[in-house]
Amino acid sequence: MRDGKYFAPAGVEEAVRILAEWGEKGTLLAGGTDLVPKINYYELRPEALIFLGGLGLDYVKESGGGLAIGAATTTARLAEDAMVAEKAGALAEAARLSGSDAIRNSATLGGNLANASPAADLATPLLVMDAEVLIKSSGGDRVLPLKEFFRGPGQTALKPQELLVEVRIPALKGKTAFKKLGRRKAMTLSVVNVAVRLDGNGKKCNEARIALGSMAPTPMRCKKAETMLQGKALDRELIKACAVQAVNEASPIDDQRATAWYRKQAGAALVAQALNRISGLDS
Amino acid sequence: MKYALSFSLNGFPVDVMVKTTDTLLDVLRDQLHVMSAKRGCDTGDCGACTVLLNGKTIRSCLTIALTVAGKEVNTVESFLSKEGELHPLQKAFHEKGATQCGFCTPGMLISAKALLEKNPAPSREQIVEAISGNLCRCGTYLEVIEAIQSVAAGEGKE
Repeated sequence: MRDGKYFAPAGVEEAVRILAEWGEKGTLLAGGTDLVPKINYYELRPEALIFLGGLGLDYVKESGGGLAIGAATTTARLAEDAMVAEKAGALAEAARLSGSDAIRNSATLGGNLANASPAADLATPLLVMDAEVLIKSSGGDRVLPLKEFFRGPGQTALKPQELLVEVRIPALKGKTAFKKLGRRKAMTLSVVNVAVRLDGNGKKCNEARIALGSMAPTPMRCKKAETMLQGKALDRELIKACAVQAVNEASPIDDQRATAWYRKQAGAALVAQALNRISGLDS
Repeated sequence: MKYALSFSLNGFPVDVMVKTTDTLLDVLRDQLHVMSAKRGCDTGDCGACTVLLNGKTIRSCLTIALTVAGKEVNTVESFLSKEGELHPLQKAFHEKGATQCGFCTPGMLISAKALLEKNPAPSREQIVEAISGNLCRCGTYLEVIEAIQSVAAGEGKE
């Protein structure tokens, strides 16, 4: 077997140039936590490995009241960064609950999204935050809402020559929360994960966002469940009905981690818990 | 094709020739014969290959070797003092019987050292969290926690 080539571009421009040349034959490497097991077990023999750690994409910046986060920012940094905690609480919580110390030190935000696992922990918080992704290629830049980014398990809107560069979170209204159920506490993929955002004053809900992970071929928003809360005074009964509606919009599967039935039960419980907590019904 | 790779290992400069798909663990064990990091699962799950990269824990089996160019890698081999004395954590693991077959021990020691450098007085919960990515199939977790507590300062100490 011929050994592949290795590129370690020093900037985004150079990376985009290499990608334009190699296209589908180029494999992008960030933290490696999802990619390298495939290499170790001979499922993947990249013709060219393009390392993205030297592009200067490890940053968290304030931007128009929201945040701009570089795609190579590690989950460890997301879990510890004060600005992320303040402006995107559910994202910090999802990062904190992912993997373990050594995984979080390597795994990146861009990698978690571009790997497009239906169970990606960082996807659901970003969906409820109406996040956008900045994508670059030699043909130019484009900005895409995250909800249009995921196309299926392992499938994204990225074309072979394109690079995910930045995630943008707008100035958020309301509070966010993230809940995850795994088979154990650490080093576990989500059996189901839930992110919610509620904007309201006192008892009335102005805007609601609910997202589910590991419940469909991609991380998903639950639009009908969100509409149920819009303009309403929240109480436990409404939240319970909304949580049931949320999982009924999903299409979970049976796999080695859980059955579809279990995912729906657990998912509804997590949605209700998260909504109760941020609406102040549970302290 | 092979590439030249230079990095610092336990304070010494090393130069090796590696393939694109070689991991840091491949280079440590197969080329440099630094054997503390163990090959358990090769998928990042078990934690036996954990080493320090620029002071932070990483899985050497998930780290493409070429990505550590110019960086500092430390393994348990660096724990000994110049006089050949064991590190306090190693002494504590020995004294508390925190190692049975020993396969997970280097990874546990690396995670413990990284924890204490960041937080010299961790709570029991913080210790548990710090070693949550290191599997021990002999089940020595309680002894490992005890050993780390005995080295930690402050409230975590018993």
